[in-house]
Amino acid sequence: MQQQRIIYDDTTVRRFIMASVVFGIVGMAVGALVASQLAWWQANLGIPYTTYSRLRPLHTNAVIFAFVGNMMFAGVYYSTQRLLKARMASDLLSKIHFWGWQLIIVAAAITLPLGITTSKEYAELEWPIDLAITLIWVVFAINFFWTLKKRNEKNLYVAIWFYIATIVTVAVLHIVNSLALPLSGLKSYSVYAGVQDALVQWWYGHNAVAFFLTTPILGIMYYFLPKAAERPVYSYRLSIIHFWALVFIYIWAGPHHLLYTALPDWAQSLGMIFSVMLWAPSWGGMLNGLLTLKGAWYKLREDPVLKFLIAGVTFYGMATFEGPLLSIKSVSALGHYTDWIVGHVHGGALGWNGFMAAGMFYWLVPRLYGTKLHSTKAADAHFWLGTVGILLYIVSMWISGINQGLMWRATNPDGTLLYPNFVETLLAIRPMYIVRFVGGTMYLVGFIMMAWNLWKTAVAGKAVDGETTVVVEEKAAEAGVAPAPVPGWVQVVTGRPLVFAIAILAATMFLGWAKPVRALVLMGAIIAMGEFAWIVTRREREAGKPSWFGLIEGRPLAFTVLTLIAILIGGVAELLPTIMIKQAVPAHGAAQQPYSPLELQGRDLYVREGCYTCHSQMIRPFVAETQRYGDVSRAEEFIYDHPFQWGSKRTGPDLHRLGGKYPNLWHYTHMMDPRATSPGSNMPPYPWLAENRIQVKEAPKKLALMQKLGVPYTNADVDSAEDRQKAQAEAITADLATQGVKVAWDSEMVALIAYLQRLGRGPQDVPATPGGPPTAAVTGSQGGSR
Amino acid sequence: MSEKAPLHYIYDGIEEHDNRLPNWWLFILWTTIVFGAGYWFWYHIAEVSPGQLGEYNAEAAELAKRSQGNKPASDETLLALMQDPKAVDGGKAVFQANCASCHGAQGQGLIGPNLTDGYWLHGGKPVAIHKVVAEGVVSKGMPAWERTLGAERVKAVTAYVLTLKGTNAPGGKEPQGEPEQP
Repeated sequence: MQQQRIIYDDTTVRRFIMASVVFGIVGMAVGALVASQLAWWQANLGIPYTTYSRLRPLHTNAVIFAFVGNMMFAGVYYSTQRLLKARMASDLLSKIHFWGWQLIIVAAAITLPLGITTSKEYAELEWPIDLAITLIWVVFAINFFWTLKKRNEKNLYVAIWFYIATIVTVAVLHIVNSLALPLSGLKSYSVYAGVQDALVQWWYGHNAVAFFLTTPILGIMYYFLPKAAERPVYSYRLSIIHFWALVFIYIWAGPHHLLYTALPDWAQSLGMIFSVMLWAPSWGGMLNGLLTLKGAWYKLREDPVLKFLIAGVTFYGMATFEGPLLSIKSVSALGHYTDWIVGHVHGGALGWNGFMAAGMFYWLVPRLYGTKLHSTKAADAHFWLGTVGILLYIVSMWISGINQGLMWRATNPDGTLLYPNFVETLLAIRPMYIVRFVGGTMYLVGFIMMAWNLWKTAVAGKAVDGETTVVVEEKAAEAGVAPAPVPGWVQVVTGRPLVFAIAILAATMFLGWAKPVRALVLMGAIIAMGEFAWIVTRREREAGKPSWFGLIEGRPLAFTVLTLIAILIGGVAELLPTIMIKQAVPAHGAAQQPYSPLELQGRDLYVREGCYTCHSQMIRPFVAETQRYGDVSRAEEFIYDHPFQWGSKRTGPDLHRLGGKYPNLWHYTHMMDPRATSPGSNMPPYPWLAENRIQVKEAPKKLALMQKLGVPYTNADVDSAEDRQKAQAEAITADLATQGVKVAWDSEMVALIAYLQRLGRGPQDVPATPGGPPTAAVTGSQGGSR
Repeated sequence: MSEKAPLHYIYDGIEEHDNRLPNWWLFILWTTIVFGAGYWFWYHIAEVSPGQLGEYNAEAAELAKRSQGNKPASDETLLALMQDPKAVDGGKAVFQANCASCHGAQGQGLIGPNLTDGYWLHGGKPVAIHKVVAEGVVSKGMPAWERTLGAERVKAVTAYVLTLKGTNAPGGKEPQGEPEQP
């Protein structure tokens, strides 16, 4: 019997908290700035680096990866050590993790305003930074699992399950979505194109929400909420069910970002039904949080920590009800591309992540500095400022989003558009943009008050590290126990819940192909199997047999592998067929010809300026959209789009069939001063495009790289790229010159115009193939036939 | 529901109860699963509904049927419309909202040509103007408006443009195209 004293590494925790608060302020301040830019375009300040379309990715990345990321690491490092009764395995790895992550954030803060971006949302960082993220994530994983190995607590508490799921899944998501071929040190192209790229991106994008913003915070909730409330967790079995349901189902839900797009119907339906099925598992987490407070509700009145945690969990419940709702196709038809989505994610980000962070910080900082919170009153004021701020934010975005969605589809009695001019629908929601700015700013002010309060608390105390004492001899004693009759891993793989789950899932997979009669039989069999499983497990539980879940909770390796399998099933089922289908997409017509060299250059500028943050390139199959924008977008039109540019928000109109709609002069005028052609528009001006020059010599390199990605350029195309580029550019400058506008042929403006004029039709420097598909400008309500 | 005794594991002072799952929560869980199975069966196994493009085609056909009743534009009907102050006012509003950014608020021409000088690139006859507005001129960057604005508003805006003829708005763009033959 030997006692060992363990001192926890709380220095790392303190560092992560500090970083989270600082970057939280930065990220939210940029958020307030971009919100003001939508209401007052002058706030773009007329320079590239502060323009909305470059700052919006900075805002999202800063809030997700810098603010929530650092907060998550703080919570994970603090709670993991205590739940495992072990110091983090390696102080060196903890240090590398902390400083590496901050370096990545700084790199993001520099590159994004410079326009160095992949344009894939929440994955905008270019390939060297992506590599660094992978590396640091692996460091974190090693440090974490090594600590698991060294733990002095046999079983893993539910918080640890969620951390495991986070680490494993984020690694898979990040690596698969970031696969790209580099053109240079700061520019790369996604290996996926069009539909495939869209699906991979939103599989990633949605699960960044799931496994970066949700599961680790649920783990944090499971530790800090019972701690703060000093109450037992409501239900262990609820935590088992909602954990496994959540990790298995979440991964399927990505396609709900692509409803009514050119993504195949079956993938859309999977995305929708799994999103609907996420409602209960999500609410399981909320329930376990809220009901833990049962019998202690009175504590809410005096304790700001509990106020924040409980409000955070409530906002989580709201957002996870709204999410499935928005995933229903007919609701998505109205809400997609509008501010409703923006309001929805801010309910999650400000309400769930922001408030959970605040609750955790208010609880942690006094303990980490061995003192009391400097001001409970200020924390209360923060709470109310924040709550009112969030409500102003999400209510204004509901009104704005639903209003604009209805205006886009509103028709006259004769079936024509009631608001044919897009700007009308934008002007209608402008007051809501101002309210949103006010709400967001209130939230930021509250957050700054917290920073001050925490600072005062920290300087009033002195950094103290937590410690515990464990009896180390237990392990040796355990080794002396006679080995179990059946080896552990056999017990794991033959466990009833696992066997039944595999059997039921295997049967369910066949529903993907079954014809009606067979499907009904199959469904009957699945129900019978479920019933049988239920009876068997119930009987075993009553007989007092040890639970299989209890078994795997003592086996981190088995637990991790099972989690990995659970998240891979959905990903493989959706991604694999869609990626293989590449060959099945009919490639025909002028729109399926690769971009001309100049158009390709222009496309890179479209990416650099972040046009996708406000403009979609995806016309959905609704008459109101084809009347406004042209024929329905088809999957085969995007096969050479590395990366895809479908967008997710329409602050401005869709651009997929913009090509040929307006003269070159219109585009020039519009880019120099958007309000000259579209009075009332809130688009920032892009005058530097007329001054900057493109890298003429890059054109052949870009074509050659596209060739490697499978775009059918011939070697002759690559060799002639520069000449072809110049010829097309000069045709555009000549046209502009006849209207009295002088601009250099190799200016960025000309390249971007070339790209915009090509959208929705073939390359514009070669004669169109006769018999190609009709271009946007051809009248008629035909479209969307495959 | 009764609170069960805490489980015997205590993690860093955190205890766990093992309450049974609330019935309403189980109801949501099973209902959404049944809904999911039913949805998949309906659309992808039984294929009762035509899918999103099928639905779109039906919607588009419905609209096409509705606009079949529209009378085609002719010189006479457009000239008659020109005498109808209500139609011309409506056309003016449409012009200001959609056309003025390129042709100028008075039709004097900016990015697009001057509409007040009696010179025409594609003919100055009422039906010729109507055709340009309705179908656009892709090579010149004139959008096709009939799809977005609908037949009635295109006629009205054509009538309004006809009233601009010969007003020679001040500050007008220099003439393009041919003078109109009387």
